Amino acid sequence: MNRLYLWPDSPVLSLVVLLLVAQIVCWSARVPVHRGLRKLGAVLGGAFRLVARWLRSASEELARRNREVLLEAGRAEMEARLEREFTRIATSFTAELKEYPGLHKRLDESVRTVEEDLKESALTPPEAPGWPEAVEAMANMPKAGDRTVQKVLDEIHRSAVASEKKALSEYREAMAKRHRILAQTAPVWKAIRGLLEQVQRAVTGALGAGSRIDGYMERYEKIRRGEDAAERGLAVSTLNLFIISLFVVAVAGGGGLVNFQLVARPMSELVPGGGYVFGMPISMIAALVIILMEVAAGIFVMETLGITHLFPRLGGLPASRRRIIFLVALTGLFLLAAIEASLAILREQLLEADKALAMSLAGEAARGKEEVAAPLLSRIPMIGQAVLGFILPWILAMIAVPLEMLVESGRHVIGRGLALLIRGLGVLFRVCAHLVRYLVAVLGHVFDIFIVIPLQIERLVRRRDSAVPSPVDPRALRNPTERTAPFRAPR
Amino acid sequence: MTAPRLLALSGLVLALACSDGRSHARATVVLVDVSGTYADQRDEMVRIIRSGLLPRVRPGDSFFLIRIGEQSYDRSAVEAAVTLDAQPSRANAQKLALAGALDRFARSPMRARHTDISGAILLASEYLKETRAGRKDIIIFSDLREELPKGAKRSLDSDELKGTDVLAMNVKRLAADTNDPAGYRTRLADWGNRLTQAGAASWKVVLEPEELAEEYAAER
Repeated sequence: MNRLYLWPDSPVLSLVVLLLVAQIVCWSARVPVHRGLRKLGAVLGGAFRLVARWLRSASEELARRNREVLLEAGRAEMEARLEREFTRIATSFTAELKEYPGLHKRLDESVRTVEEDLKESALTPPEAPGWPEAVEAMANMPKAGDRTVQKVLDEIHRSAVASEKKALSEYREAMAKRHRILAQTAPVWKAIRGLLEQVQRAVTGALGAGSRIDGYMERYEKIRRGEDAAERGLAVSTLNLFIISLFVVAVAGGGGLVNFQLVARPMSELVPGGGYVFGMPISMIAALVIILMEVAAGIFVMETLGITHLFPRLGGLPASRRRIIFLVALTGLFLLAAIEASLAILREQLLEADKALAMSLAGEAARGKEEVAAPLLSRIPMIGQAVLGFILPWILAMIAVPLEMLVESGRHVIGRGLALLIRGLGVLFRVCAHLVRYLVAVLGHVFDIFIVIPLQIERLVRRRDSAVPSPVDPRALRNPTERTAPFRAPR
Repeated sequence: MTAPRLLALSGLVLALACSDGRSHARATVVLVDVSGTYADQRDEMVRIIRSGLLPRVRPGDSFFLIRIGEQSYDRSAVEAAVTLDAQPSRANAQKLALAGALDRFARSPMRARHTDISGAILLASEYLKETRAGRKDIIIFSDLREELPKGAKRSLDSDELKGTDVLAMNVKRLAADTNDPAGYRTRLADWGNRLTQAGAASWKVVLEPEELAEEYAAER
C-alpha cells in the first residue's frame, strides 16, 4: 500500500491526489465505459432472454407432445374399453338370444297350460237339482190313511233324500276338482314369473351396458375433440395411477428387502468368494439375482396370462407357445420359491451356529446368557422363515401389474414434470436477464457517482460556456447529449 | 435390437462382470507384550481378543498374533497367523481353532527380559503388506515402554505403516507413572508421533475392552 503513496510522509494527501487522478481518468473514459456497460448488459441480457425464450418454447413443445401422448393413450384406453364392452354385449346377447326360442317356447307352454287349466276349471259344475224343495214338499205332505200310499210316499221321500245326497256329493266333487286344477296352475305361474324376471335381468343388463357405452362414447368423443376437461381428467387419473402404483411397488420393494435378508446370509455360504462388484460381495449379488429372477419369472407369468402387456411380442405368440412359456415360468417360480424356503431354513441354522460360536468365544461370561437364550431356539422361527421364504416370491411375482402401471403412468408424469422444470428454468433465465439489465444500470450510476465532482464541474462549465472543448469529440458521439446525460439502461 | 439397446445391455453385462478391483479384506495384527509385569496380563488380553475382536473378524480377513519380547522382529515371535476362509462356516471353524491357540498362548509360561516393540511393529508391517488387505490394523497390548536388547537397531520408515490404523489397548501404568502421570502421557504421545511419522493412518489409545470392540467394528 505504501508503494502507492506519492508522498509516503503524507498518506492522506497522496490518497486525495490519487482519488482525483482516478476521477479525472474515469471522467475521461465515461462515454466508452457507459457504452461498454450498455453493450455488456445488452449481450448478457439478450443471451439470457434468448435462452429463456428457447426454454419456454421447448417447454411448450414438450407440454404439447405430452398432451398428444396423453390424449392418444386415453383414446386407446377408451377404445379398448368400448371394444371390451361391445364384446361383452355381443357375447351376452348371443347367449341370451340363443336361449330366447327356448324361453319363448317355455313361456308359451306355460301360458297354454294355464289357459287350458282355466278353461277346464271354468266348465259348469252339475247344478244341484231342486231336491230340497221336493224333499220338503214330500215331508210336508199330510199323512195318508192308506198304509200302502203312505209306504209309497215314504219310499219316494227316501229316494228323494238319497238323490239329494248324491247330487250334493257330485257337486262337491266337481268343485274340488276345479280347485285342484287351479292349485296346479300355481307352479306354472311361478315359472312364468321366473321367466319374466330372467327376461327383465337380461333387458336391465343390456340397458346398463348401453348406458356404460354411452358414457364411454361421451368421454371418447371429448378425448377425440381434444377438450381441456378430458385432458385434465386423464392427467388426474394418470397421476392417481402413478401414485398408487408407486406405493404398491414400494411395498413390493420392502418385501424384496425382507426376501433379500432371508437369502443373503445363506448365499454367502453357497457362493463364497472374496470378489466384490461395486462394493457388494458376490454372494449378495447372487442373492439379488435370485430375487430379480423371481420378479422376472412373475412378469413372464403375468404376461403369458394376458394380465400385463409389457412385451408385445409375447402377446403376439400362438396360444400353444404362450402356454409353454407360462408353464416354464411357473415352474421356475415354484423352484425358486422352494429354493428360498430351503435357504431360509439354512439361514436359521447358520444364525444358530454363529450364536453358538459367539458364546463359545465369549467363554464363561456368556454361559448364563446362553441359558436365558435357550427357549428361543425352538423350531417356530425356522418354520416361519421357511414359509415366508416360500410365499414372498409369489407375492413378488405380482409386482408385474403395478410395474406396468408405473411405467405407463410414469411416462406422462415424468414428461409433465420435465416440462414444468424447463418452464421454471425459462422463468429463472428471464429473471436473470432483468437482473443483469438493472445491475448494469446500477453499475453505470455507481460509476457516475464516483466521478460526480468532475461531472458536475463539466455540466456547470457547459451551461456557462458551451464552447469549452470536451475531452471527447462531440461529433464522435451518436447522441450529442451522451457526454453528460445520465446512464441509460440497456433494453 | 437397436444399437442403443444393444449398448445398454452390453454395459449392464460389463458392469456386472467387472469387479471393482479393490480389496475389501481386512488384516489385523495383535501385538502382545510378554515382558516384565505385563506378562501376567495375558489371560485378560486373550479374553478381550476372544470376546471383542474375533467375533468381528469376517470371512476372508487375516489375523496375526505377534509376541513382544526379546527379539520381536524374528518370525518365531508370530504366535498365530490365519487367513479366514471366504465360506462363513469354515471361517467359524478357523476362529474356534484360533481361540484354542490363544488359550494355549495364555497358559504357556513366558516372561521376556526385553520389550522390543519396534521389532514387533516392523514384523507386523511386513505381514500386513503381504496380505494386500484393503484395511490394516495393529492393536498393541503393552505398557509401551521399550527396552531393546543390546545391539538391536530399530527404525521405522516414513511409509512403514502407510494406511494402517494403530490402537493401543490396556496400556499399563507403571509404578513411576503413578507418581508422575506426565511421564505416562509423554510416552503415549511419543509413540503416537513416532507411528504417525511412520505413515500410520490413525493412532488411538483405548482403555475399555468395549471401546476396543466398537473402534474395531467402526467402518473407515
